[in-house]
Amino acid sequence: MNLAKNWFELKKWKPFLFQTQTGQAIINNQSGLLNSPTGSGKTMAIWFGVLQSYYNKNSKSTTKKTNGTGLHCLWITPLRALSKEILLATQQVSVDLNLDYTIALRTGDTSTTERVKQRKKAPNALITTPESVQLLLASKDYALYFKNLEFVIVDEWHELLGSKRGVQIELALSRLKAINPNLKIWAISATIGNLEQAKEILLGKNSTAVTIKSNLNKKISIETIFPDVVENYSWVGHLGLKLLPKILPIIEKSNTTLVFVNVRSQSEIWYQHLLDKAPHLAGLMALHHGSLSDNTRKWVEDSLHQGKLKVVICTSSLDLGVDFSTVDTVIQIGSPKGIARFLQRAGRSGHNPNAESKIYYLPTNSLEIIEGSAIRKNIELNNLESRIPYVRSFDVLVQYLITLAVSDGFNAQIIFEEIKSTHCFSSVTADEFSWCLNFITNGGGSLNAYPEFNKVIIENNVYKVVNKAIAMRHRMGIGTIVSDSMMNVKFLSGKRLGVVEERFISNLKIGDVFWFGGRNLELVLVKDMEAKVKISKAKNGKIPSWLGGRMAMSASLSNGIRNQFDDYTNNIIENEELNKLKPLLDLQSKVSLVPNKNQLLIEQFKTKDGYHLMVYPFEGRFVHEGMSAILAYRIGLLQPSTFSIGMNDYGFELLSDTEVDMEAVLDNNLFSSEFLYDDATTSMNATELATRKFRDIATIAGLVFTGYPGKQKKTKHLQASSQLFFKVFEEYDKSNLLLRQAFDEVLDFQLEITRMQAAFNRIYTQQIVVTHPLKPTPFSFPILVDTLREKFTNEDIQTRIDKILNSLDK
Amino acid sequence: MIEPYLEISLKSEYFFLLPQKAIYRPAQQELILSDLHLGKAAHFRKNGIPLPTPSKSKDLEILQQLINHWQPKKIIILGDLFHSDYNLEWDLFSQFLNQNAQLLFVLVKGNHDILKLEIYNIPNLTVVDKIEEPNFTFSHQPVNNCDKINFCGHIHPAIKINGKAKQSVTLPCFAFVGNNFILPAFGSLTGLYVLKWDKHSTFYLVGNNKVLEYENIRLL
Repeated sequence: MNLAKNWFELKKWKPFLFQTQTGQAIINNQSGLLNSPTGSGKTMAIWFGVLQSYYNKNSKSTTKKTNGTGLHCLWITPLRALSKEILLATQQVSVDLNLDYTIALRTGDTSTTERVKQRKKAPNALITTPESVQLLLASKDYALYFKNLEFVIVDEWHELLGSKRGVQIELALSRLKAINPNLKIWAISATIGNLEQAKEILLGKNSTAVTIKSNLNKKISIETIFPDVVENYSWVGHLGLKLLPKILPIIEKSNTTLVFVNVRSQSEIWYQHLLDKAPHLAGLMALHHGSLSDNTRKWVEDSLHQGKLKVVICTSSLDLGVDFSTVDTVIQIGSPKGIARFLQRAGRSGHNPNAESKIYYLPTNSLEIIEGSAIRKNIELNNLESRIPYVRSFDVLVQYLITLAVSDGFNAQIIFEEIKSTHCFSSVTADEFSWCLNFITNGGGSLNAYPEFNKVIIENNVYKVVNKAIAMRHRMGIGTIVSDSMMNVKFLSGKRLGVVEERFISNLKIGDVFWFGGRNLELVLVKDMEAKVKISKAKNGKIPSWLGGRMAMSASLSNGIRNQFDDYTNNIIENEELNKLKPLLDLQSKVSLVPNKNQLLIEQFKTKDGYHLMVYPFEGRFVHEGMSAILAYRIGLLQPSTFSIGMNDYGFELLSDTEVDMEAVLDNNLFSSEFLYDDATTSMNATELATRKFRDIATIAGLVFTGYPGKQKKTKHLQASSQLFFKVFEEYDKSNLLLRQAFDEVLDFQLEITRMQAAFNRIYTQQIVVTHPLKPTPFSFPILVDTLREKFTNEDIQTRIDKILNSLDK
Repeated sequence: MIEPYLEISLKSEYFFLLPQKAIYRPAQQELILSDLHLGKAAHFRKNGIPLPTPSKSKDLEILQQLINHWQPKKIIILGDLFHSDYNLEWDLFSQFLNQNAQLLFVLVKGNHDILKLEIYNIPNLTVVDKIEEPNFTFSHQPVNNCDKINFCGHIHPAIKINGKAKQSVTLPCFAFVGNNFILPAFGSLTGLYVLKWDKHSTFYLVGNNKVLEYENIRLL
């Protein structure tokens, strides 16, 4: 019996070659990676292999109810919305073919009753998230539960890879493989720059695992939306509202349009303005972002499926997964920051495998226009970004060890061998591992043991947690996604609308009006982490800003932009983008310079704010963050200084109250790539980068306890900020691995040290051109208005206070 | 220890604002401080959260230095003396009281002071809800619309000051808001709550070994 053949015949469809190949490989008991974009039929490619393999081994009868053969397949997805989608699709197959193969969902939303049911009688397949897999490992007798597991499918692996959720998966697989050495693992991944590495991490080096490519070539057409007169368009904007009228005709002529913006507040603003300009869209337009309640998002997704919506304004919350066949147009507002992300978003339209994806790019300021052509070029060249995997994430390891201690307990030697087999922890030494064990058993490094410390105990060589309250707190805290303290937004009737940052609400007064989920709401009362609201008739309201999610431009895109500028300096104006931008670039050339490939531009000027030093490496925000800190540090060695540092994807600014002697900077070779690592580490201490990174680490490692709803006030006594932990570790426990991890992560992910090294090397070969414009230039404007600024100082605090005081007295 | 303090006058009485985040009241020979949160680290550890501390409390060491220098007769603690349930760090505190047996300690109870009453049963420790004097009220939480001057804590006040070239510093402070004279938290394992500056209030910032008065100057 060939299930796939039966089903495709039933549906009167023809399977793609890659679908047949994948199914066959699975039936042959192989592991592998399926390289396929979203919406290509990848789910069915895998699913029929799993099903066929099951029925080849189990009962020939496909209709008789067997009494539970145990969990057979674990399907891990990054998104809850996606897991629901897969559940429905796979369940439909069982219905269509009258199979007794059962499938269930296990995510953060699954009710306790349902979980108990799933434990008593395991379904054949469980569709779940990385966090929920950890939770399963935190429950008693998990080894028994997974005893018959044959398949683990990791969906959207490219998305998980570059995050700590990927590390959770590596750890879970190391345990599951120990329980079942014959486990077959399949990764599904879109194309990324380091696909081969992605495969190795999940399936092991030198494995016999196969790679199957779907080879579906999708046509993509990119069109930039231009302002009529570039000179009149904003130099510094980040909203793009001026161009809003231009998207109305696009929406009109399309069936359904997805409008992607980069941050949640922007989606609220666009929604509001779109409704203002096109009131007839009321009821046909919706908002979708990560802070809206699940119900709201589910409603939007369902309505999209049913073709009830004309426009949805969304953020990355709709980047992944779920296919909407009704969507035929995508609009990207503002820089997409990366080629892969842009492709992913473009792929949300024209889902029919042969249809063309149509995407419009709407720049939010004039300079951003250049990204339209930079992206188009990169897509032609297939220059996609890599996802950098995390290594040595001790926070996730500590969490994992406690997870195992909470369930059945663990043997340290066995688990050490297992974690050493993962990519993330392959370089962890025995000493480091025993530090982790000490950390969870006596609360500190090996030297200081605290008499009252209570967490993991050792009994007969087994590490376990016996204290119920600690076990419960741990289960509540499992996960690696750390968000700001959030407050529920509810109507007086109790209906939940979503969440906003506590900080935003705490700055509002009762009676204030704010926009949320496309509605104008009045704050009525705040109680127990809930903001109660009612609909307001007021015309204007404040817009919550959700911090975080600030992305940096990728290396591929940055390189593309430098090339476009180089083309301009060589008078090669081949595309509409450069052509439109020419007047602005001409102005920049006139007052300062547009750098060619071999030049690094530095501008120095003075305003009432102080002395500005602008540097334009065009390397993306994160690299600039590191470069600016290093440069500030090196200048500080010449003269004690305090800098306020602003940056964007194009360049950075060092703002000071005294002038920087550029001569001295160049004479002392401050752009040298020598001692980069040392200087980066030292300069980190002078900024707040590591402290901020440590926030996530402290939360994941279970130090910062965020509390949980409905619990007594006393849990408040266990809450402390991560800064406090950082300070105390720095003072009393310098060798703390979590502290060191914070510095490593800043170097690897925040400052992208590898990329920064390359940038410094490149700059070293470049000619440094310093200009002294009389006024801020077109390049500098967007940086000057950057409000999330870094601080660097090597002056002592009293000097700084005195300086600030003196400046105030005037 | 003999660091510069700031002398202020309230209701014709002198008060010394000390950079160690306490107040000395010379007329009464009293030392006033708030929000020590002793036992916080041990409480965390007892609940499985590793928060390292040196074996000897730094906060008590500073307090001892203050006692040695100012030779007060009485110490008024404006609440949140101990962070939560009993743990071994309380025994260190009770030893500390023992070593300073000549001194009277008065604890004005705060929301964190939840120990069983018998635990507070130490000869030179008195626990009260509030202290009323003709000119002053001493409480943990700020008293609304107080008609006397109200010394209190609870808030852990701080102020952010901004200077040229977008520079800023956040410092703990004594905040004189309305009739509430709010003390900064004395304990080192505490956070800061940044107050909004307003021109009707006075803030005394605790800098590096110095208390600075910022009254009626433009602070953004």
